[in-house]
Amino acid sequence: MKLNERSVAHYALSDSPADHTGFLRTWGGPGTPPTPSGAGRRCWFVLKGNLLFSFESREGRAPLSLVVLEGCTVELAEAPVPEEFAFAIRFDAPGVRPHLLAADGPAAQEAWVKALSRASFGYMRLVVRELEGQLRDARQTLALHRRSSQKTGTSRYKPQAPDLCSPGLENGHFPSKDCSPVGMAEEGGSRPAGWALAEWEFQGPASLLLGRGQSPVSPETSCFSTLHDWYGQEIVELRRGWLQRARGGQAECEKKDRP
Amino acid sequence: MRYNEKQLQALSRQPAEMAAELGMRGPKKGSVVKRRLVKLVVNFLFYFRTDEAEPIGALVLEHCRVNREEPSGFSITFVEDTERKYHFQCCSENQCQEWIEALRRASYEFMRRSLVFYRNEIQKMTGKDPLEQFGISEETRFQLSSLKA
Repeated sequence: MKLNERSVAHYALSDSPADHTGFLRTWGGPGTPPTPSGAGRRCWFVLKGNLLFSFESREGRAPLSLVVLEGCTVELAEAPVPEEFAFAIRFDAPGVRPHLLAADGPAAQEAWVKALSRASFGYMRLVVRELEGQLRDARQTLALHRRSSQKTGTSRYKPQAPDLCSPGLENGHFPSKDCSPVGMAEEGGSRPAGWALAEWEFQGPASLLLGRGQSPVSPETSCFSTLHDWYGQEIVELRRGWLQRARGGQAECEKKDRP
Repeated sequence: MRYNEKQLQALSRQPAEMAAELGMRGPKKGSVVKRRLVKLVVNFLFYFRTDEAEPIGALVLEHCRVNREEPSGFSITFVEDTERKYHFQCCSENQCQEWIEALRRASYEFMRRSLVFYRNEIQKMTGKDPLEQFGISEETRFQLSSLKA
């Protein structure tokens, strides 16, 4: 089966953020006995999204192997060498051998197990959908409150989330900083949130007004902290609901993953 | 680079976001358009011969560009070599548009950027970090700085 290996290798080495990196001992791979034995081999591992790459060394320029973290579970395991902190990636697919790995210490072992077990596309999608819903609800709450307290009838409120598919945003790759809508946000760290952001980010009334340091309601209600607390209560309520829904969703996913 | 074919084959059998018979032409010189079952599963685009159960191959959709190609087709290129184009022919403009939209949103990197964007927006509006409930607010991959790539 073919794979666009060159572009995958390029992605592995690109400076897009790695989700986890470190040295691990590995057993297995073609040409090795089916039962792991001996000291294995120490390699540099890079987790990017749902792809786990291994390299000969930290400076290695060509990935030795690729493991796709879909349809798998990550569990603690026993290594052939007793002092190693081993874990295994087990695949649901029949006939696919588990991948045995070992970290240098318990902390590294835990961090790897955590990172790998959350690496699937489905997990990422679940979190993104959840936040998408939260943002929509938060915007609606703000807009509703603004409408009821202003009673002017005119509203700049737009319920839809910003169009993340705007030009320049293609598959997570941004050819240049200038056409990266989300990339603009990175400048936000040193100044108040909402300032100097791309125009399209000012879609909701809240970001529009809060970003300028104004109250999202009538000019008389100028105490931000009061408003903040007021919104906060609603958000807490909403979040309780979301949490419950998220748990339900996750349970469903788990059910689906393991029929 | 080693990878487990059996595992990828298993992935190709998972429920698809999109699946259709499309005309497909690889990047090699002299390639001709062939009928393929094309299936989008997470960030993998699998392609099959129409009479076979196992895929011929897959494209990992990270760091790629999807462009419209006339008439009613699209192409996929990867940043590593933008000259190498995978061409796809659709039956209609509508179908073409659907595929382009689905493919542009199919990468993990796109999801990550969406996540960081939503997190930032929600935090601005509510003053609270929405990732705390998942226990992943400390993870470096979800920090704003991770956008600097």
